[in-house]
Amino acid sequence: MSKTKKPSIRDYLYEPPGPRTRTWIRVGTALALGLIAALVYAVIHQFAVTGQLKAKYWSFFSRWTTWRFIGQGLLTTVEVALTAAAITFAAGFLLMRGRLSRHAILWRLSAGLISFTRGVPTLLFIYFFFLVVPRTGVKLSAFWKIALPVAISACGVVAEAFRGGVNAVPRGQREAALSLGMTERRAFYRILFPQAFRYIIPTLIAELVIVLKDTTFAYIVSCADLMQNARVLISNYDALVSTYLVVAVIYILINYGLNRLSENLAGRESRRKTA
Amino acid sequence: MSEHPVIELRHVEKHFGELHVLKDINLSVARGEVVVVIGPSGSGKSTLCRTINRLETIDSGEIRIDGERIPREGKNLARLRSQIGMVFQSFNLFPHRTVLDNVTIAPVDVLRIPKKQAREEALRLLERVGVGDQARKVPAQLSGGQQQRAAIARALAMHPKAMLFDEPTSALDPEMIGEVLNVMTELAREGMTMLVVTHEMNFARRVASRVIFMENGSILEEGSPESFFTHPQTQRAQAFLQSIQDH
Amino acid sequence: MSVSALWDQYGSQYLLALLTTWKLTALSFGLAFALGILITVARVGPIRPLRRFGDFYVQIFRNIPGAALLILLVYALPYLKVLFAYETCVLIATTLIPSAFCSEYLMSGMNMIDRGQIEAARALGMRFFQIIRRIVIPQALRFSVLPMTNLMVATMLTTSLGSQVPLNPRELTGLVSYINTHATGGVTAFVISAAFYCGTALLIGLAGSRIDRKVRILR
Repeated sequence: MSKTKKPSIRDYLYEPPGPRTRTWIRVGTALALGLIAALVYAVIHQFAVTGQLKAKYWSFFSRWTTWRFIGQGLLTTVEVALTAAAITFAAGFLLMRGRLSRHAILWRLSAGLISFTRGVPTLLFIYFFFLVVPRTGVKLSAFWKIALPVAISACGVVAEAFRGGVNAVPRGQREAALSLGMTERRAFYRILFPQAFRYIIPTLIAELVIVLKDTTFAYIVSCADLMQNARVLISNYDALVSTYLVVAVIYILINYGLNRLSENLAGRESRRKTA
Repeated sequence: MSEHPVIELRHVEKHFGELHVLKDINLSVARGEVVVVIGPSGSGKSTLCRTINRLETIDSGEIRIDGERIPREGKNLARLRSQIGMVFQSFNLFPHRTVLDNVTIAPVDVLRIPKKQAREEALRLLERVGVGDQARKVPAQLSGGQQQRAAIARALAMHPKAMLFDEPTSALDPEMIGEVLNVMTELAREGMTMLVVTHEMNFARRVASRVIFMENGSILEEGSPESFFTHPQTQRAQAFLQSIQDH
Repeated sequence: MSVSALWDQYGSQYLLALLTTWKLTALSFGLAFALGILITVARVGPIRPLRRFGDFYVQIFRNIPGAALLILLVYALPYLKVLFAYETCVLIATTLIPSAFCSEYLMSGMNMIDRGQIEAARALGMRFFQIIRRIVIPQALRFSVLPMTNLMVATMLTTSLGSQVPLNPRELTGLVSYINTHATGGVTAFVISAAFYCGTALLIGLAGSRIDRKVRILR
């Protein structure tokens, strides 16, 4: 992959520093380093004086069984997230088709559903599946009680991402396909959507982050995901702070990785376009 | 009256990494002179133009504006810059302000001229470059030629000692080049000191007091337009003029 | 339960919950915006450790799930002898997360500013802070109106985290789960909250696009 990075305002906002500016920057750097060091020290100090650095709170992380248990929870989290993602991508695609259709009813219905799912918090959907759905006699496992609401909550955003991708394909492509005698439908599936997909992929990966974050509410429906397994660890080892911190870091790292992947793909796409 | 050249470069050197973009550049522009810099793309002529108000730094040598050495930073750098007008290839008008605001923003902020006075003067300048009726619009509503003329007015509002033109017509549609060159010609007639980087040979022939030919970061030739265009001394210059005439 | 029966019983609580959601949203968004600006200043400033710190901050809070952050604030901090009221915990969570996104949007707004803009201002003799004040900030803010509108809606959605702790008064999501665990509000109870959320999102969207139309930079 090429190293050419997009020029950032961080670079061109400043002129090459003269001697006076350089002195200022040096002073500022020293002050900032001091401040950050003080902050880090304060945090560690607070951990130390409250006894949270004691070995008993951290030693069980060197045990294989701990990580296997965390891994099991993580596996469930990933399963829920991927299932929800698959559903939401499919639903998002259908909503996008509806939104771009010329049928007034279909169009309105899809637009309405998109606004609805975008305007309502995931938690409300989760409580709906947790509290209301069971009373209607529909029996869902904990897995689906979290996967379905997370999927529904994301599908409007996904639909808009699909639509943005399709609209990013130059107009001439559709016209060229139609002029070759393709039907609208054929032109969409053979010409427009494959091209749009290139733009969409980074957004879909970024969407995975949202889905993954939303799965952390799985504890509400008692699904044994990463968060839930963390609770078990906490009651076993009586180590709340360390366990929740580790779990938070795991989530952050996964999401960070996904975001980076998405940015890299998007960057590659824009480079290919300008090349 | 000072006897200093308005712009003076002595032994200016610049590298972009491995690339030696300016090689021992010596150049002075006297008051009222119009110096046109020509040369193939990549010859360093734009970079030369941009070093004069230190939009590009130099590795060694010195640059003087009206006898005063251009400093590396601070208040004096800003002050010297404000005395040199610059017109860019891509206009660089501020898109979030009206054309009028574009012309008044620097006089008000930098020269501390009262707003009302700055406005009156700006309208006069816009009138002079032929876009007085566009003053209340934002730049995007103007044609390229109009934008570039407004950009010239913006630079003139600072009462510059000299004007730098960095390929001012290269981004314009052909039918708009003339209107910008006319404004520039008018300025030259009024005695403005100008350094113009351009590909417009007719402008160079008609307006320049001196033509400078650059290639590979060096000034290869300099002379009056008549002598340069009729008897170029170096083979490079001959080849360059030939290549332009071919189309 | 019919809408009217439900409304008779819980109407005033719904209105209170709507107000609570609005209050939390406005407060969080305002704080997040201020914090986002500070972080952005650190990130574009010339001081390298501050840049790193700003980048780090953004990566943490843009990637941490809201539930995980809230749990840390509510359950872990007391072990460290840092004790906040539930309301404060929710407010901190619903401020920190949007502040990271706010900084991201401001950064991309700033990156949309053409380099030639800054050169032109420099060539006119403008000093660094004049350029910041006259050229960079106004343009970056105009480029960020629509992202900020979306951020405000996202902040509103994030305030539903308030349902995970006992709040008094409850916000819209907490009220629904309360009604449904104490009575049989059924679908209706959800529909009312959902309508309030959607209506708010719609209003924010309308206001945002109106502002955007007014200040948008033609290019």
